[in-house]
Formats: sequence, structure tokens, C-alpha cells
Amino acid sequence: MDDIDAMFSDLLGEMDLLTQSLGQETVPPASPPSTNKDVNFSIGFTDLNESLNELEDNDLDALMADLMADLNATEEKLAAEIEGLKVPSPPPSDLPPPPTDLSTHPASSYASPTSPASSTGSSVSTPASSATSPIPPPQSSKPTKEEIEAQMKADKIKLALEKLKEAKVKKLVVKFLLNDGSAKTLMVDERQTVREVLDNLFEKTHCDCNVDWSLCETNHELQLERTFEDHENLVEPLLAWTRDSENKILFQERREKNEVFKNPQNFYLWKKDRKALKDIKDKDKELLVQENFCGTSIIVPDLEAVLHLKEDGKKSWKQRLFQLRASGIYYVPKGKTKSSRDLVCFVQFDNLNVYYGKDFKSKYKAPTDFCFVLKHPQIQKESQYIKYLCCDDARTMNLWVTGIRIAKYGVSLYENFKTSEKKAAVSSVWTNRSTPSSSNPSTPSPTIKAKSPNQANGHAPTPQPGPISADFGNIPPPPPPMADILPPPPPDPAFPPPPSLPSRGSPKPSLPQRKLPTNFPPPPPSMDNLPPPPPPPPIDDAPPDFLPPPPPASGFGSLPPPPPPMSSLPLPPPPASFGRMDQSLPPPPPDPEFLPPPPPEPMFTGGGGGPPPPPPPPPPPAAGGGGGFPRPALRPVGSVKKMPPAPPKRTTPSLQGGGGDGDLMSELMLAMNKKRGAH
Amino acid sequence: MAAWDLAISVEDLGPDAPPVTLSVASDLHVGGVILKLVEKTQIKRDWSDHALWWEQKQQWLLRTSWTLEKYGIHADARLLFMPQHKPVRLCLPSGITLRLLACFSNPVFQTVMGICRMLNIRRPEELSLLRPIEHKKKKKAKDLEEEIYDLTEVPLSSASRPCLYNGMPAHFADSSQMEAIYKMLSVTQPPPAPEVIAKQYRPASVVDKAHIHGRWLDSSRCLMQQGIQENDQIWLRYKFFAFYDIEPKYDVVRLTQLYEQARWAILLEDIDCTEEEMMLFGALQYHISKVSQSEPQMMSSSAAMDDLESALQSLEVKMEGESSTASEMLETMTAPDLNDYLKIFRPKRLTLKGYKQYWFKFQDTSISYFKSKEESIGEPIQKINLKGCEVAPDVNMAAQKFLIRLLIPAPEGMNEVYLRCENEQQYAQWMAACRLGSKGKTLADSSFQSEIQSIRSFLAMQKSSSSSHGNVPASDESINTHSLVSPRYHKKYKPKQLTPRILDAYQNVAQLSLTDAVMRFLQIWQALPDFGLSYVVVRFKGSRKDEVLGIAPNRLIRIDLGVGDVVKTWRYNNMKQWNVNWDIRQVAIEFEGNVNIAFSCVTADCKIVHEFIGGYIFMSTRSREKSDTLNEELFHKLTGGHEAL
Repeated sequence: MDDIDAMFSDLLGEMDLLTQSLGQETVPPASPPSTNKDVNFSIGFTDLNESLNELEDNDLDALMADLMADLNATEEKLAAEIEGLKVPSPPPSDLPPPPTDLSTHPASSYASPTSPASSTGSSVSTPASSATSPIPPPQSSKPTKEEIEAQMKADKIKLALEKLKEAKVKKLVVKFLLNDGSAKTLMVDERQTVREVLDNLFEKTHCDCNVDWSLCETNHELQLERTFEDHENLVEPLLAWTRDSENKILFQERREKNEVFKNPQNFYLWKKDRKALKDIKDKDKELLVQENFCGTSIIVPDLEAVLHLKEDGKKSWKQRLFQLRASGIYYVPKGKTKSSRDLVCFVQFDNLNVYYGKDFKSKYKAPTDFCFVLKHPQIQKESQYIKYLCCDDARTMNLWVTGIRIAKYGVSLYENFKTSEKKAAVSSVWTNRSTPSSSNPSTPSPTIKAKSPNQANGHAPTPQPGPISADFGNIPPPPPPMADILPPPPPDPAFPPPPSLPSRGSPKPSLPQRKLPTNFPPPPPSMDNLPPPPPPPPIDDAPPDFLPPPPPASGFGSLPPPPPPMSSLPLPPPPASFGRMDQSLPPPPPDPEFLPPPPPEPMFTGGGGGPPPPPPPPPPPAAGGGGGFPRPALRPVGSVKKMPPAPPKRTTPSLQGGGGDGDLMSELMLAMNKKRGAH
Repeated sequence: MAAWDLAISVEDLGPDAPPVTLSVASDLHVGGVILKLVEKTQIKRDWSDHALWWEQKQQWLLRTSWTLEKYGIHADARLLFMPQHKPVRLCLPSGITLRLLACFSNPVFQTVMGICRMLNIRRPEELSLLRPIEHKKKKKAKDLEEEIYDLTEVPLSSASRPCLYNGMPAHFADSSQMEAIYKMLSVTQPPPAPEVIAKQYRPASVVDKAHIHGRWLDSSRCLMQQGIQENDQIWLRYKFFAFYDIEPKYDVVRLTQLYEQARWAILLEDIDCTEEEMMLFGALQYHISKVSQSEPQMMSSSAAMDDLESALQSLEVKMEGESSTASEMLETMTAPDLNDYLKIFRPKRLTLKGYKQYWFKFQDTSISYFKSKEESIGEPIQKINLKGCEVAPDVNMAAQKFLIRLLIPAPEGMNEVYLRCENEQQYAQWMAACRLGSKGKTLADSSFQSEIQSIRSFLAMQKSSSSSHGNVPASDESINTHSLVSPRYHKKYKPKQLTPRILDAYQNVAQLSLTDAVMRFLQIWQALPDFGLSYVVVRFKGSRKDEVLGIAPNRLIRIDLGVGDVVKTWRYNNMKQWNVNWDIRQVAIEFEGNVNIAFSCVTADCKIVHEFIGGYIFMSTRSREKSDTLNEELFHKLTGGHEAL
């Protein structure tokens, strides 16, 4: 049990780190503590409203501290609850961790890392920072009885509100199943669209990014499957899953998603004979798309077919003549004409999604296996409110499902297609230009420690500069306890500066990989090492707690040699330079573009799988260097284009790259299951 | 050359005045004839708009440099000297009749351009003129009462774009009457009384509709040539249903009239729709009429006003300072309280039988209920999240029944819950809250109050319609819902049955601005399967029965009259060529893949069909890249037929 607990807390800590480090790239303010559906962090806004304005300065500060405390509590609760969740919500916490926790063990760090300061986003202003450092009550710089600067107060109120807002942002750690049986795990926040998640997965998997890549939801119990539309938010539908559900999210190519834009004639001219449709010219296809998707009104294919409808609560299927219109599905009542005014409305689409049914012939005695289903997304089990329809053939089924999607989503579908086309075009250029990273996503991580999985995190959209970084910049050094147990981030002696293999042309920062704290050699003596901690400018990003030395900054044509080791340990580049990294700086922090630094552990080989040299010299960032690089570059959504001097990112050995995540998660699951069983 | 006498009637001298006789030679050009004529009448006035009309040939003599010989005019020609612009009564899509000067000498295409210029309607090529449907005798009396708005004083200008003043063409800014007329053009009309709808002619079949389309005037000939007389009534309607480049900012009149045409097409069942769609159209009409009454300024306000306003706003912001932004944030994040004693009933749960009273509290998007107000601090008995749920009213004003029916989604299905309110006020609040909640919005949403208002006004409608059984004219507060739907539904539902259904549809559109609501109406109209179809009864070559040809913006369809089904579709982009044999009045079309069709037209001249096809092809050539000027020549080339060649 202890193992599991430790592992779990490790995991949590890692997550925090990741969010933190990711935060640099994202513009949005600090990542709030994530709440999951079960633990909903609710604060009465009305009360707030009344009271906030009345508060004196230090009261406000106290409130902030309270909030932090609350958040911490929530997180702990969360951690406890996470086990039960299929989709565990990551416990990123904004709160500065109580120092004590840190000292106890690394795992606890999860609570601490997130930087609250980040809330202010790009500018960490003094007031913000003061507010952010939760525990220490107000800096007390302001005499309360004296004139309170209205500005300060307003800022604090604002900050508090922002935090509250942020606090409500839900995040989930989602496992995406790949076709080869492996899985990727990303943290997804409720504001992210499927498109953004797909982009993250592209970064992680190095697939070809074509327009067919999709996320699909499967419902095991109902034997349903649905492709998410790119503009949908991913978290919301996942929250509808029940605790015990065996639903899955698949990451795969689905031809039918954009088929209507590639072959519109099959949908809009479906009545014509197939041969004529086959010979249709590209120009005519384009015209069809134009006509139906680019006018003032979106035109829904004019579908009409006899479909089999499963009768409510019965096992029998009954035939009816159905028509699809923009306003819903209708059927022709017995003995009536097909005239519009006689049609009876079967469903409208406001609250319904359309799903493919799998294997309904055996499950429901359907006439064929070409079935689709209409249901409210919240419904997860058998219910009379689910409409089951069965088509004679696959073509009819695809016609209807696509037609319903057009009626329901309208122009969004076309916009999604356009966006994904652009993405595909860009990425194909990239692949040509840059050597793909050699890391095989699905390679299992051979690391010794199974426990310390690399967490593949999507980028957290809102991550902020970690508190640490902020601390470095503005505030006194991190709490002492950290130094004892945890290696201070940058100056970790154990980590040589990571050899960064920059993949040229890939603008996206690579995903920082998470290392196990346990593996890390103890931090160098604080005195020696501390001074050099690279303080990344707070704005840019917060370095994760345990950062390997900063990788070379991107954009360097040639990488400087590995940082000169200090004493015996290679030290990270001097902090001072961090704020503005010049190219001349030898050990620049890793640019976002660059691949993660060298594998920390001897076991990992940078690229070839050979063990890296014990003191891993950073490989020169030769253009071709990418080949050795294991890690897929992760591209955070909304990443800032300018490259901040990268905070030291965690790099993981290449081997751990893709496989690690899946392993981690499945291991975790296994462990949890075991644990549950034991109880 | 020998001189001979030419008799010319001058319209301005009166119908009974004898023709003026001039002595002319065959080499005299038309301009010379006019000069002589004017001198001889000895009337001093502006003759610049006058021209000669040759009655036998039904032709204007507009080329003043042509000689009489070139025109082939001899002494027996009956010539008429008259103005080219004459007043007509122009019936707009909104049903309003204007009296204005239309050009009788140019092709109708240009006449329409002139009218649209005067009325500030862009894209005149989409409209055309239509002979009115002959009224039955009893209607004549009513015609006289009809109010006619006079625009004959508007100076004729040839400027392609009228200059705008206060957001309207300068000639409308002259006087308050003119301004009122412009307002009428640019603001949607209130819903018509149900009797008005019922009295209007409604095409009962496709063939009836086909007859209407036989009334289009020929775009390549002038009004005079088509037998239109001074002061005749003609209809201005959208003819080509390919609306290009709609820009609400500039297209106020265009959009308004388009909406009116669409609305009447729905109300008169000129285009078929389902009952659900009719309710949505009804809800949109209700909303549009309500919003346009409260904010009658759909027209863009002048730039100066905009500047002033924004300046004021920024000033305000400055004065308020930063602290207020924080409090504003608080404001927006703070929802009004809503809690009260309500009764709940869950039909399927055995635990609760009948309605039971609890203390209800609305929070975020959820309803929680407690045993009593005093216990509302603790854990609720139940918390119901309304997001994604269905909300339906079950109200009977007379019986004072105010029920809210909720269908709450849950993993196992939908749970049915009824909330019973005591009175109108309570009901409106909770209903509005539930609606917002179902859309994932909280009470902090700005639409909460307006939602309450609209629910109350619908309740008021129900009250009045239940008390005043039907046909009493609707008061201003409430609209008879029969005004919003076609007569078919007048028979099917009583107004008070209709009210909840329209209210139901209304909740999805209640937040739209006027322009958005009009656009939504047009979008739904355009999404109807039969949208844009103009019908002509034809007889296909080799077939012995009449069939109907439907002409749409992108295709032709062949409809079997017996079954009413579409039997064949041909798209224009597969069309290789089309020809009209003017002698046997037959249209022949060749499509790719060796598909040839030919038909003669029964309910319309084949010129009309020819013009429809050519016109739609013309419409598809318009594109943003090209200049904004109308390629008139191309239009005539595509639609003109043999006369243009």
C-alpha cells in the first residue's frame, strides 16, 4: 500500500511540475487548482460580493491565505478521491505547498508546486506576488490603518476573483488509446477544445497530422461510439461518464469525420447513381461544398429513407419513412403524404448527440448492424430516452449520421475541417524540414523505475510560471526544505545540462519530461549550488522544481558545450543571465523548441538507446541532432511565440517518451485495482 | 426630300386633344421632330424626360439621331409624345404600396435598378416586377382604402449610389413625411391580423404557384411594351433566390423587405414547412416585432453619433477608475438570489406522492431543495443540475396552474420532475431561471430579467386570448398568436394552445438582436427543402402529361404532378448549353453525359424560364473579387433571348 501511495504522490508531484513548466508557454494566468467533478470547490459568490469590498487590506490577504488553505484541503481530498476515478483529475494545485510537506517526501510536492503567482499572467506584479505567496500573510508592507491604496485593494479583489474563477476550471487526466494498443495520457482542462487536444497528441505521437485524426468516445455498456467534433470541449462529455464506466477515448483516424468535404457528392447528390458520383470533377465537388457550407444558410442533405426504429422498451424494430431536415428528423405518419406539413417530428437536435451503434444485431436483434443512436450525452445506460435506428446498409448509415451532424453543428464542421486542413499542411511541411524525432512514441520505457513514469502531459493551457520561478525572480530562494531533499531545480548536479537535440523548425517546445525525484542525486550543497540557480524571469516561466539544467536555448545555431560543471557537478548556467539569455550564453535554458535535455539517468540513452555517458554531455545541437532525440516535442496550445529563456525543463530520456505515459497510467490503474481489491 | 405630315399625340395636352401635325421629311432625325413638336405646342416646361412612343410597333424612339427613315416611320405611324417616367403603384414585399415614378422606356431590368436606387435596396438584380394577382370583386373596395405612400416627388437621379444622410438616402431626409416612409421601408411591419392572413390569396398547389410565376415581367423589355399603364399596380419581389453579400449595415431596407417576403411566404404557405418549423418562425416573428418596436433604429446611426458615444464611454471609464472594474467583475459574477417555497412532484419515484412543498434555492445552474427555509444552510435533500435538461411549461391561466416540467438527464435516462408555482410572478422567475440553467447559464447572466419579461408577456397573451375568445384585435401588449402562423394552424389550434408552443420555440431565440433574429429567420427559411424553387408547368418532349419544372438557384427539378415527387434533378454546373426555339416556344437543355431535355412551357412564357435559368447563371458569376458594378450587359446576354441578339 505504501508503495502505491508513494507512487501516487509521486505522480501528483510530477503533474504539478509539468503544469508548472508548461505554464511558461501559455499566456493565461496561473493554473488554478484543478477541481474534479466530485470535489467541487464552491464558494458563495454572493457572500464574496458583499464582503470583499468591505475588507481591509490584511483581511484580503488573510482571505487569500484561507483560500489557499481551502485549496490545499481540496487537493488532499482530491488525491484521496482520485483513486476511485477512472479519469483521475490531476491535482495541480496553485497553492504553494507547505514547506513541511516538501521535506517529508517528494511526493507531497504536488501540492506545492503550482504557482499561484502566475495568476496575474505575464506580469508578475508585486501585488500579485505578494498575494500569491499565500502562507505568509500580507507582506505587511502596508499599514492597514493608513491610507490604503485603492489600487492595491482592487488588484487583490481582482486576483481573488480570478483565482476563484480559475479554481472552478476543471481538469482531467485523460488516457487516449492509440490504434496500436498503446496509450497517451494528457491533462485536459475544460476550456480546451478537441482540436487543441488533437494538436497536443500530434506533438506526442508524431503521426502525420492528417485531417482524419479524431478523438472518439466509446460507450462500452451501450456499445456506442462517437467521434467528437473538433470544436467541442473535451472535458464536458467526459464528466458525464459514470464512475464505473468502461468508456474509452480513442485517438484514431476516422475517415467519415470529414468525408462530406472530400466527397460532398456522396451526401448532397446521394440519389444519383454511384457511377456518376465517382466521376465527378474536383471543381464540382468544390462547388458543392461552396453551395452548401458557404452560403448564408447551411444546407442539410435532403435525406429520406425507410429506417428501422426500435420501439420504446420493446425488442421489436418497426419501419418508418424518415426525413432529415435542418430542424430535426421527421417521419411520415401512416396514411399521410410526404408533404412537409404532415410530417411528424421524431427528434430535434438541441440536446441530442448521434452515435454509431456497434454490433446491435446481437445486442438488440437489430435487422442489420448498421445502426445509429440518438441520445442525450448525459445518458450512459439503457433508457427509454435513447432512440435506436437501424439502416439497411453502411452507406445509408453514414449518410444519416453525417447529415445529422451537419444539421446539428452547421458551419462549425466546415470550420473544423478548414482548421485541420491547415494543420495538416503545416505539419507536412515540418516533417519535411525537420528530422522527426526518433523517439518512438510507443516504445515502452525501460527505465528502472517503473514508478516514476514520465507523465505525458498535455500542456496545461493556463499554467503559469511556477512559484519557484517567481520566487527566484522576485523572492528569496525557495524554502530550505526543498534543498534538503529535493534537488534544487536548476543546479542539480546530477543532471548535466541536457543535451538538447533541437529539432529544427519545430517551433514547439518539447514536452518537458518528468523525472523521478528519487533518482536524482541529492542536490548539491546549497551554498555552492544555490547561487547559480537559474532564475528564469518570472514572466517566462516557472521552472519545475526538479529541473535538469536548462537545455540550450533554442535558436542557437550551435549549442554551446555543456555547461561547465561546477566542482564535480555540472552546474546549470548562471541564473543571472537567465532573464535575457543571449545566444552567447553557454548553458541557456532549454528553449521550448528544444527537445528535452539529456536523460538524467544513466540507463537512458539519448537517442540510440545506448546508455548515455554518465556525465551526460549535452549533445551539440547540430541540425541533425534530432535523430537522437527521443522525445516528441510537445506543443502547448497557445504557446507564446517568443521564446522565453526556457526555464529548465525536465527532460526525460528518450526511451521513456511515448510508452512511459501509457505505462504509468496502466500501472497506476493496476496498482489501484490491487489496492482496492485488498481492501 | 419630300415633306409629309406626321401626326403626334402629346400626352400633356390631355387625352381628348387632337394630335399635333408636323410637316417632316424622311431624313429628319427624331431629335428634330421633338424640337419641332415642342415649339409647336408652345408650352414652356421641362421636356427632357419626354420621348416618342410608336404605338403600332410598341416601340420607343429613343435614338434621337436616327432619322424617321431609319426607324421606318411613315405618315400612318401613330406616335405618342410622353414622359418616360410615370407613376405606378408599387406593392412591396411588406405589403405596403408606394406611388413612385418608374421608367417606362428602359428594359424592366433597368427600371428595377432605378426603383431600388430610390428605395436604397442593394443588389437590384435579385428583384423584379410582377403583375399582381387579379383581385376578386369584393376586394376592390378595400383597395381604395389602402394607404399609398407617395414618392413621386423624388427627383430622378442617375447617380449609381445615392448619398446618405443620417443613414438614409438624402431624398428621404427632406421632410418628416419622407422620413416616415423610409422608416416604413426599413422597419418590419407588425404581425398582420389573422383575418388579413386568412383573406390573402394562398396558392393551394404547385400548379397554383406555377401560375404566379407566369406573371413575371420580361426583364429585357420595357413596361410600356408589356402593357403596364400609368398608375397600374405592380409588385416588387425578390425573384432570384441567391442573395449575395448581405451586409446588415448597408442592407437595412433590403433585409427588411427580404424578411417580409419570406414571412409572407411562410404565412401563406407559399413554401411548406413542418409544424415545428412553423412554431419557430412564429417565435421569431414575435421576437422581431417586439424588438423592432423597442429599438426601432435598425438603421445605422450616423458616424458622428458613434464617435460621440464612444468618446463618452471612454470618458466614463476613465472617471470610474480601476477599482470599479473589480467591482464590475464582482457584479458579473454575482447572481441575484432566487429561493422560495415551491412544490415538487416526481411522477416516477415512489417516495414522493403528489406535490410536496420544500424550500427551493437556485444556485449556479442547479436547484437545491430543503425541508424548510431554516434548514437551508445544511445539505440539501437533493440538488438538481439543470444543465442540458429540457424545460417545458404547463400553464393554465384560468385554472391558475403554473407548472414547470423538467426532464433532467442522468446516466440512466431522463428524470421527470414537476415544479409547481403559486402565481404568475413566481412562475416567471423560476421558469426563466430553469431556462437559463438548462443552457448552462447562471442567474448572473444578463438575460435573466428579459427572460422573465418575455415569459410574463406570453402569459399575458394567454390571459387575453383565453378571455376574449379569438378574433378580438390584439392589444398592444399581447399579440394574437394566430398572427404568427399560417391559416392551417388557425384551424388546428386555438391561440392559447399555440402560445405555449411558440413560447417553447421562443426560448431559443429570445436573446437575439433584431438583425440577428431577421438573419436567423432568413437562414431557417433558406434551409427549407423547397426554398428558392420557382415552378412552371411544362410538357416534356415526348411526354403527354403536364409536369412541373422547379427552378432553383443551383438546379432544375422535374416534379411528377401525380405523385408530387421529385423525379429528376439537373444541376446547372453540369449544363453545357441551353437554347430556346422561339418559333415553337421550346426550351432545350443539354447536360454533360449526353443528357438532353426539351420542354414547352404551359403556365409561363418560355422567356420566363429562359430568364430564370440565365439569371441564376448570372447570379453565380457575381463574386467578391470582381468589381461591385453590375454587369448589365452580361445579364442581358444570358437572359435576353433572340431579341437581345
